[in-house]
Amino acid sequence: MDPKVNGQLQHDWGWLIAVYLFLGGVGGGAYTIAAINSFTDASPVLSTTVGLWIAFPALLVGTVFLIADLGSPTRAFLAGMKPGTSWIARGTWIISAFMVLSFVHLILHQYTNVGETSGGATLINVIAVAGIIFAIGTMAYTGILLGASKGIPFWRSGIVPVVFVVSATVTGHFAIMLGMALFGDTAGLVMPFKTMALEAAGLVVLEVLAILFFLQAAFRQPDPRESAERILRKRMFVIGYFLFGLAVPLGLMLFLYSITLETGSTKIPVVITGAILGLIGGLILRQAVLICGALPTLNIAGFEFRRIHRPKEPKPGIGMLPPQ
Amino acid sequence: MEKVAEKIIRSESVMSQYGMVIDLKRCYGCYACSMACKTANHTPPGVFWARVLMSEVGTYPNAVRQALPVLCMQCEEPSCMEVCPTGATQKRDDGIVIVEKDKCMGCKYCIMACPYGARYSVEKWESYFPDGLPLSPLEEFQKKVWEEKSGVGVATKCDFCLDKISEGKKPACVEACPAKARIFGDHSDPDSEISILIKKERGQVLNPEFGNKPKVYYLFPR
Repeated sequence: MDPKVNGQLQHDWGWLIAVYLFLGGVGGGAYTIAAINSFTDASPVLSTTVGLWIAFPALLVGTVFLIADLGSPTRAFLAGMKPGTSWIARGTWIISAFMVLSFVHLILHQYTNVGETSGGATLINVIAVAGIIFAIGTMAYTGILLGASKGIPFWRSGIVPVVFVVSATVTGHFAIMLGMALFGDTAGLVMPFKTMALEAAGLVVLEVLAILFFLQAAFRQPDPRESAERILRKRMFVIGYFLFGLAVPLGLMLFLYSITLETGSTKIPVVITGAILGLIGGLILRQAVLICGALPTLNIAGFEFRRIHRPKEPKPGIGMLPPQ
Repeated sequence: MEKVAEKIIRSESVMSQYGMVIDLKRCYGCYACSMACKTANHTPPGVFWARVLMSEVGTYPNAVRQALPVLCMQCEEPSCMEVCPTGATQKRDDGIVIVEKDKCMGCKYCIMACPYGARYSVEKWESYFPDGLPLSPLEEFQKKVWEEKSGVGVATKCDFCLDKISEGKKPACVEACPAKARIFGDHSDPDSEISILIKKERGQVLNPEFGNKPKVYYLFPR
C-alpha cells in the first residue's frame, strides 16, 4: 500500500449503520416509485402493491439496525430532541412520519375499499403526496446525515446526498422488480418489465455519473482524496459495486429490454439476477463510503499531523512458549 | 481607577471561560499528559482523551520532529454539540463542553462531527491483558469509576478534569507536564497568564478553517 494512504479511519459506524442507510434508501425509493405509479395508472398496479409492501417493512427493519448500533439502545426514544440542529433528530421525525404514512397507505391500499370512492381516492392521493415528500426526505437525509459530519472530510460533500438519493431510487426500483418477478404472474409482467428495465438502466447510468462526479470532487482535495484512494483500492467497491452492482445490472436491464422488445416475452431469471445484484451494490456503496471515511489532517504553522491508521494487532500472550 | 472598576464589574458579571495554552517549544512528546489523563479519569483501553501526535518536516539533515498534544478543544462553537440529537452534549457557562451520560443514546454522531477526533465511545470494557484473562483488581476499580462517571456506550470526552478544577486544582495533564508546556486558565480574563501568552506569542489554534473556535491555543517556535 502507498505509505501516504495510511490515515486513520473512522471505525465507530460500521455495517449496522450501512444496512440502516441502505434499507432507509430502499424503503424511500420503493415508496416513491409505488406512489408515483398509483397516480399514473387508473387501476391498482402490481408495482404499487409491491412497493408499498417493501417500503414499510424496510424502514422498520432499518430502524432496528440503527437501534442495535446505539451504545444505549434504551435511550433511543430521546433521538428527536433537537431537530433544530441535529440531522439525526430531524431524520428521526422524517422517518417516523414516513413510516406512519407508508403504513397507513399500505393498509388502505391492501385491506380496504376506500380507494373506490371519490373521497377515499382523494384521501389516498393526499397520503401519497405527503408520503412522497417524506420518502424523498428519507432518501436525502441518509446522505445529508453523512454530509453534516465535520470530522470526515470525504463525506463533507454536497454530492453525497445526490448519490444517496439516486442510489436509493435505483435500489427501490430493483426491489420492486424483484418483488414483482417473485410474486407476479409472468404473462402479465412483459409490458411492465419492458418499461421498468429501461427505467432501471437509465437510473443506473445516473448513479454511475453521480458516483464518478463524487469521486472526482473528492480527488481535488487532500483529505477527501485519502478516502477516495482507499475506496478505489477496495475490491469490494471496484468489483462488488462498480462491476457486479452497476455494470452487470445495467447490461442485464438493457438485455431484458431488447429481449422483451424483440420476442414479446420476458426473462424472469434475468430480472431476479439484475435486481439482486443491484440491491447488493447499493449496500456495498454505503458500507464502502462509511468504512473509508478518514479523519482530517491536523495542521499548525506548516506542520501536518496525520493520524495514522494502525490495524489492530492481536495481543501477545503472557508466558507462552512459541509453538514447537 | 476606571480599569480596576471595569475588572471588578467583569469578574462579577462574566463567568470564567476556561481555556488552555500548549507551548510546543517546550513539549518534547513524553506522553506524561496521556498517562496522567488515563490515571485521573480511568479511561478504558483505547480511549485517550489527551493524545500526542508526532510530525516531521524537512529531510535529513534538516529534519525537524514536532510533538502535538491534542485534547478536546472545548470549542466555542462545538460541532459535537450541534449534531447531538438528544441534547446530551452541552456547553457550561464556563465554556467547558460536557456530556450528560443519562441523556446520551450512543449514536456516535458527535464522534463523526468532531474534526479534532476528541470523542470516544467504547462498546465494552476490554482487559489490557491478553488471552481473555479476567479484569485485574485495578481494572475492576477503574471500570467501576468509569461507569459511574461516563459509562459504556456513551460518547465521552475530556472535560478539563471538571472535578479537579471545581476544587481549585488544575487538570491532570497540566499538573503532570514535566516541561510545564501546558498552561490552564481563564480565557476571558485579559490579565490571565493564558490570555497574555496568546497575545504576546501569537497563539494559534489548530485548523481554524474548521470554524469551531477552539479554546486550546498553541505557541509555536518561530
